[in-house]
Amino acid sequence: MRPGRTCLEPREVMETQHDERGGQDMGELLRMEGVDKRFGSFYANRGVNLSIREGEVHTLLGENGAGKSTLMNCLIGLYTPEAGKIYMHGEEVRINTPRDAVDRGIGMVHQHFMLVDAMTGLENIILGDKRHASPLLQRGDDRKTVEELMERYGLEVDLDARISDMSIGMQQRVEILKVLFRGADLLILDEPTAVLTDLEVQGLFDIMRSLTDEGKSIVFISHKMREVMFISDRVTVLRRGECVDTLDIANTTEQELADLMIGQKFTESSYRKVEAPGEVRLCLKNVCYRPQMKHGGLRDVSLTLHKGEILGVAGIDGNGQTPLAEVVTGLVSPESGEVIGPDGSSIALFSPQAFIDAGIGNIPEDRNKMGLVGDMTVAENLVLKQTGSERFSAGRGAWLKMDAIQRFADELREENDIRCTSVNQTARSLSGGNQQKVILARELDSHPQLLVAVYPTRGLDIGATGFVHDQIVAQRDAGCSVLLISADFDEVLKLSDRIVVLFEGQIMGTYPGANPPIKEISLAMAGK
Amino acid sequence: MDFFMASLPTILSATTLSAVPILLAALGELFSERAGLVNIGLEGIMAVGAFVAFAVGKMTGNLWLGLVAAMAAGVLVNMIYGLCTVTLCCDQVVCGMAINILAPALALFGYNLFVGSNSANATGSLMPHIQIPLLSQIPLLGDPVFGQQLLAYLAFILVPLIGYFFRNFRGGLSFRSVGENPQAAETLGINVVRIKYAACVACGVLAGAGGAFLSICTTPIYIDGIVMGRGFIALATVIFGRWSALGIMAASLLFGFFDGLNVALQAQFNASPVMFFKMIPYAFTIVALVFFGSRRAGPKANGQPYYRESR
Amino acid sequence: MARKLDAQESRERTLMILTPVVSVLLALIIGAVIIAALGKSPLQGYAAMLQGSLGTPAKLAKTLERACPLIFTGLCAVFAYKCGVFNLGGEGQFIMGGCVCASTIFGLHLSGPAGLVLGLVAGIVAGGVWGLLPGVLKITRGLNEMITTIMFNYIAMYFMEFVFKNLYSDNGLPKTVAVPDSSRLPGVLGTHVGVVLAILLAIFLWYLIFRTSFGFKIRAVGMNPVASKVSGFPVRRLVLLTFIMSGAIAGMGGAVELMGKTPYRLADGFGSGFGFDGVAIALIAQLNPIAALFVAILFGVLSTGGTMMQSVIGVPTAIVDIIRGLIIIFAIAGMAFIKLPQIKSFIESRLTGGAGKGAPADTPKKTEVEA
Repeated sequence: MRPGRTCLEPREVMETQHDERGGQDMGELLRMEGVDKRFGSFYANRGVNLSIREGEVHTLLGENGAGKSTLMNCLIGLYTPEAGKIYMHGEEVRINTPRDAVDRGIGMVHQHFMLVDAMTGLENIILGDKRHASPLLQRGDDRKTVEELMERYGLEVDLDARISDMSIGMQQRVEILKVLFRGADLLILDEPTAVLTDLEVQGLFDIMRSLTDEGKSIVFISHKMREVMFISDRVTVLRRGECVDTLDIANTTEQELADLMIGQKFTESSYRKVEAPGEVRLCLKNVCYRPQMKHGGLRDVSLTLHKGEILGVAGIDGNGQTPLAEVVTGLVSPESGEVIGPDGSSIALFSPQAFIDAGIGNIPEDRNKMGLVGDMTVAENLVLKQTGSERFSAGRGAWLKMDAIQRFADELREENDIRCTSVNQTARSLSGGNQQKVILARELDSHPQLLVAVYPTRGLDIGATGFVHDQIVAQRDAGCSVLLISADFDEVLKLSDRIVVLFEGQIMGTYPGANPPIKEISLAMAGK
Repeated sequence: MDFFMASLPTILSATTLSAVPILLAALGELFSERAGLVNIGLEGIMAVGAFVAFAVGKMTGNLWLGLVAAMAAGVLVNMIYGLCTVTLCCDQVVCGMAINILAPALALFGYNLFVGSNSANATGSLMPHIQIPLLSQIPLLGDPVFGQQLLAYLAFILVPLIGYFFRNFRGGLSFRSVGENPQAAETLGINVVRIKYAACVACGVLAGAGGAFLSICTTPIYIDGIVMGRGFIALATVIFGRWSALGIMAASLLFGFFDGLNVALQAQFNASPVMFFKMIPYAFTIVALVFFGSRRAGPKANGQPYYRESR
Repeated sequence: MARKLDAQESRERTLMILTPVVSVLLALIIGAVIIAALGKSPLQGYAAMLQGSLGTPAKLAKTLERACPLIFTGLCAVFAYKCGVFNLGGEGQFIMGGCVCASTIFGLHLSGPAGLVLGLVAGIVAGGVWGLLPGVLKITRGLNEMITTIMFNYIAMYFMEFVFKNLYSDNGLPKTVAVPDSSRLPGVLGTHVGVVLAILLAIFLWYLIFRTSFGFKIRAVGMNPVASKVSGFPVRRLVLLTFIMSGAIAGMGGAVELMGKTPYRLADGFGSGFGFDGVAIALIAQLNPIAALFVAILFGVLSTGGTMMQSVIGVPTAIVDIIRGLIIIFAIAGMAFIKLPQIKSFIESRLTGGAGKGAPADTPKKTEVEA
């Protein structure tokens, strides 16, 4: 079983209510049959069946890349499936465009919000709506309608604020209002809890309850077992694009679901934790960077990283992870405070090159944007930082040794099991997992003293995630220090020898990695 | 200062005259960029517009027919851009550049056929100036503001209309959403591709009209290279005017003013090297951008291709 | 299995080379349709075009001479775009190269090899400076170089007018005096040595871009400036250097044109249109310097041949401009077309016959759905 991570009291109270609601006789709202969706020759969905009843919370459970979002994007007309039928209230319907889905009362809150940042909440809600015959916007009328909805479902939103000025939680409520405003009977919530604090999750669940009480159906997409057990009526498990089973939540257990989801007995694989690390490799003292920004700054951050340990930085996405990563890789210079590098001296010049020279490797946050040059070949990406070196060129870069580069790339490809047709294909054409392997191979080849890994397994499948984790731990065991910044709490717990929590740009506390106080840490992540 | 006061009427009437084509093209670009399409092919579209308006106006003897034909030709040329960028998802800058190369060639070819066979066709006619009674009698401002050609009046009337459209029309809101976040627009049932094509049509119409102004209002002739970089100045105007119709009008009037200054200086000091005066509008464009051309503003998804089923 | 994969790679490569060739053919066909529509014979016209541009060694030399400035502006564009710099200022940089070259020679009353060498150097420096200006504006103020370079083109054009009308006018006529005989570029095989310089420059740039660490970094910056920055490249410096170098290439072209080609003087129309032609060449050549060389020569053929076509069958030379415009549209659209996901999978399924479905070759091209 996974560590119970969201064990706040209110949750426990509501759990008892759950049984009372089960077993109602509910009619079928929607049925999908035999849905196939291909990308190239890869099946993201294959023969998927799904049935949603009126007034239920139906969870789609599956690992990253299991095809949950793809299936829902087919349902709302964003993707066109290659095969399959959709029935609503027993009648076959065709949904070719998002407009069709809107007309049939289906609405989706996407994992990455589909909001226009430069517009207000109200504008986002009424955007594209065609209830009024007049081509002019009817801001007044629509505002009344929206306010009624807000009242009815307890959705609190500042309608005149721009999206860019709203908290993540409020943005999500705008998304839900958007869907409700269009009269949706079926709401699809794609991993809605991933970006929320525990308290906000609680609020979201309350809203979901009030929606189902009104007879609306909800498809809830998640891979967090506790939430699934808590909120769902039924669960459909997807694995590698195929439908595994649909179960009543009352008749199943977390263990069973986890096994179905992963396709093998789920066993807690655990890495050894180091408790007595070596000398200091990196030290941040009172570092500030744009301290006035809650979501994009650092306030008075101090932390120490020792040789041969993994320091995990936990926290909800957008609480200073990005600026922290940028400071420790030299992309930005802190406004005040001190950073002491691996050689024990204070770093004066903040430039990526200086940090690379100091022996700091970097697995950046966004593979495609920051880690790889997508249009260059795999081989070129592997030697990206070293083209001027003796090893790959003669005369300080005046003549590239193409043979040496090719041989080197082939070696790394072999060693790291990078799946590609040839090292001369573009990096863009690789799958996410293999792209990450390219970055890992490149960064680890220079044997860094310190490795900064930011969201290293975001969007990867289980196999690639395991590979990345193994590599990180192996580096630690070889004496490298690792700063692991991740919003995936389970990942932080699994790998870290020590854990710090980042909240609104501040360090909330330091915790041991062996037998971590989970409850304390999750409270710290919520700012308490 | 004496010079300035003496030539103020010249400057002002030249201001409106040279602001209008830039204004029209920039308003077209506004539609385009609001839908996320950066179209640097304005220069080419204007060239075609200028030639078609001139030729059709000359052939039919009706300048308004010429104007309509120029708009249609502008749309036609811009459809090439639309097809490449919206449907084929080509790089927008590259396509715009291709239009800048192809379109003037088409115009020149047409001109060679039209005038080459009959040199009597070389000179067309100009739209008449319409003096608005009373208002045009106002000293200094009266003539330049209230004594313009009808097309110029129309251009200025368009400004508040377009501003109103983007603020208060459902379609205007949809337009803006496509330029900011096309995925979001798509999920709300807004047809992104259709809006982008609509933007191409609007841009073609307005840029075509802007070109037409040059050959039926400014001068009665068409020559190769008549646009003289005004398409690019219009691009700068959109940035300078912060993607709002009113801002664009202010910016194009400012550009027009400096062009007017150039004309007045040339007339006044015709013995000195006048080419330095001719540089003024171009130099001013750069200076204006240096001070106000921060790239942080503008629609977010500008310039990015939109793949409907991107993964 | 490895063989199958290589086949796939080479297929992609073939498509990339095939597209511009097909584009040229298509454009010529449309050109033929236009000629036919004018009631003239396209075959006769194209025959005249070939005859007039490649028919005799002298005509070939003339064509190369016509292509020479286009090679320079084409290379200027190629080099800039490789680094993601959309320099549309080839024309202005070319003109400034010519202007400063002329001013150096006339101003210092140079003649002989000294004039030649100093003139050439002056042209290169002037072009570089003219490229540097928009570069500085881009780096410090974030200005879009497309707009600024165009504005600098017009400023350069009027500056040239000042040079040939006021500074070094030939007896008050709107043209400068001619470059002294002794400072002109020596001739080879009926054309001037500048053509050889242009060809050598193309080869050198190919080496620089594809075989040096510097070129590698330039390419990386062009394709992904953020990743380049993270990888420790001095992105701003590289971009600025690119502006300077691409400007210098065009400036050198201007100096070569002035000292190599009759009438050896500046006058109205010097360099006119070369900038945009250079852009077209670079785009059709898919930013390969060697390919740019050939495309520039093709443009030279169209140009000199177009004049011949006009005199033989009496169609306006503008038809050649149209053909040029069509080539670039077809090339761009074609390249995008074969890259579209649907088309790609269609071609793949057609050619592999659906055989290698489970093979790792078809690893899912998966990136997360982005917001």
